[in-house]
Amino acid sequence: MSHPQIAIFARLANGNAAPVRAVAGQKALLARTTHGIAYDEVRDVFMIPNFYAHAIQVFRGDANGDVPPLRIIQGPKTQIKTPDKLMFDSVNNEIYVPQGNKLLVFDGSAQGDVAPRRILGPAQDLAATLVGIDPVHNLLVVAGNTGRAGGRFAIFDRTAAGDAKPKWVIQGPHADIRRLMGPIALVPHRGLIVAGIRTNEELGGDDNFVGVWDLFAKGDTPPLYRIGGPSVLLQQVRGVTLDPKHKELIVTDKRINAVLTYYFPEIF
Amino acid sequence: MCEWVPARATASFTAILQEQQAQARAKAPTPAQVSDVNRRKPVRMIKDHYGSYSSIAVDLTHDEVVMTDESLFNILTYNRTENTPPTATMSEPKRMIGGINTWIEFQCGVYVDQATGDIYAVNNDTVDRLVIFSRQAKGNVAPDRIIRTPHTTYGIAVDEPHQELFLTVQEAAAVSVYRKTAKEEEAPIRLLQGNKTQLADPHGIAVDSTKDLLFVSNFGSVSEHDRTAAPAGGEAREYTSLATKSNWPLARESAVPGTGQFLPASITVYPRNAQGDVAPIRVIQGPKTQLNWPTGLSVDPKRGELYVANDTGDSILVFSITASGDVPPVRVIKGAKSLVKSPTGVFYDGKHDEVWVSNFGNHTATVYKATASGDAAPLRVIRSAPLDTPTPNIGNAYAPAYDSKRDQILVPN
Repeated sequence: MSHPQIAIFARLANGNAAPVRAVAGQKALLARTTHGIAYDEVRDVFMIPNFYAHAIQVFRGDANGDVPPLRIIQGPKTQIKTPDKLMFDSVNNEIYVPQGNKLLVFDGSAQGDVAPRRILGPAQDLAATLVGIDPVHNLLVVAGNTGRAGGRFAIFDRTAAGDAKPKWVIQGPHADIRRLMGPIALVPHRGLIVAGIRTNEELGGDDNFVGVWDLFAKGDTPPLYRIGGPSVLLQQVRGVTLDPKHKELIVTDKRINAVLTYYFPEIF
Repeated sequence: MCEWVPARATASFTAILQEQQAQARAKAPTPAQVSDVNRRKPVRMIKDHYGSYSSIAVDLTHDEVVMTDESLFNILTYNRTENTPPTATMSEPKRMIGGINTWIEFQCGVYVDQATGDIYAVNNDTVDRLVIFSRQAKGNVAPDRIIRTPHTTYGIAVDEPHQELFLTVQEAAAVSVYRKTAKEEEAPIRLLQGNKTQLADPHGIAVDSTKDLLFVSNFGSVSEHDRTAAPAGGEAREYTSLATKSNWPLARESAVPGTGQFLPASITVYPRNAQGDVAPIRVIQGPKTQLNWPTGLSVDPKRGELYVANDTGDSILVFSITASGDVPPVRVIKGAKSLVKSPTGVFYDGKHDEVWVSNFGNHTATVYKATASGDAAPLRVIRSAPLDTPTPNIGNAYAPAYDSKRDQILVPN
């Protein structure tokens, strides 16, 4: 990908729309494809991981152009290593950074070289790639891929730390969480997990879909809904996010190289 | 919709809420609902429906220009003298290579073999393959040759006298050097990597074979790598390759936690055959340089000048190849008339003394006299979209977020 940026589009943008603003440039300190982003509506900031510089960068919510981040979390005390994704808990003001065998949790106002507030793991089988937080039920969803067994949602207490074990796990051939890539989303009041699922084709395939799982289902439980599947547009789903006010699901797809918005009132 | 309430609320209140929430929880949908959702089409789709030129090279033998397109995943070939009239919708390419069989996706670098017309195109962070096509290839065809590369290769340069091929590797902050004729799983023959190199998110690369120099542009984000930091196992492809291939760069598994840094942008200069952890012989870096995400590079060996596609500077910077330190460019092409917008590729055509620019930000490739300066109008323009078509500039959008305060969608590339 030639040109890093954080493009910000109007909700109703469609087709060849130009972003209403974009953050890019030397001062912005972006690098590579940014695989994670979270918006905190309480403090009006958004944050991203920087894979190469082992950092979390926090920008003003209205950031535009070649502007520096408000804050950077970076340094040896942070234990941050090649951060790829992150998630923010607006209610409890915490930043979650999954790092494979451990999950780092920082104070949402952290800055500089600071230690995590708590760490889940290290545990060889944690498979922490993605995170969802349910502040209503006080739950933490650690999502990731576990080799041949495929993807998994492991549900912990929100404040789980150390060698805590998941309260339950959603995984199996019927659950069909084949491979998780981009950020997942939760609908806490409905007890739902929304995630993009890709197949193993390297470039893309017709079986990609966005699935919706019951957060409280345990074991090998199939998704309640799927958008996509054979020959229904999606080619290689990346991440999802939600717009509860307009009851919309927003999906990124690498192979289509697009951002798609679905009206999905059933999950809100 | 129920209002979200934090779990810090009192126990009794929480119990009431949880009862309400249990009632609100999704009931199993009916088969009709499931079917309806499954076939649902998006109500909106942000997508560039036109090609966005990312890298560029001229075939001087066959009088053609070759560009990679990161919007629609194609390699596009036009006549070198193509000039899209302002009233035309766009220029149609003479040949187009694209489709699932081609292994083409986010291609950031391109090289054309002047003797054969073969096209070498670098895939960045989704396909770890350098794909090589014959000049006449078109359509959804398999590459004639593939080299398996480290993850996140970006720029390409070829030293024809020594038959060597150079690739920058972003993630590893490295330069991998292959035999030009390498194929499949063949290992690199040299590696430039380490703290002394000052490589930091390297992008463009150029070789001056006449003076035996190697130039690399760097964005600045970097961390240390140490083989002992890698886990003793793992399934990641970099680690697997590390164990089996010589000269394979240390990558994410070997990154040392907490060692990340943000360095200023730079052009680092090395002897052509530099290898290992060696310091550059010169570094162009500092506020006078105007470097702002320096991307594609190209050398004019006769004048001894280095062209830099300066992405977020919306400019082409020209430095002497002997420049060092915080020095201003000798020339800058920049301004509204120049049409330079988010340039990511640049190519110096020594036969016609022209410089070509691929402008990722406005669907154009533009051509200038090599000595052009300031807000110079291009000699010719190749346009891939109707005039002034907006460019979303989306590339491998991975993680969307929703700004509920402004009703906006945040999309990082």
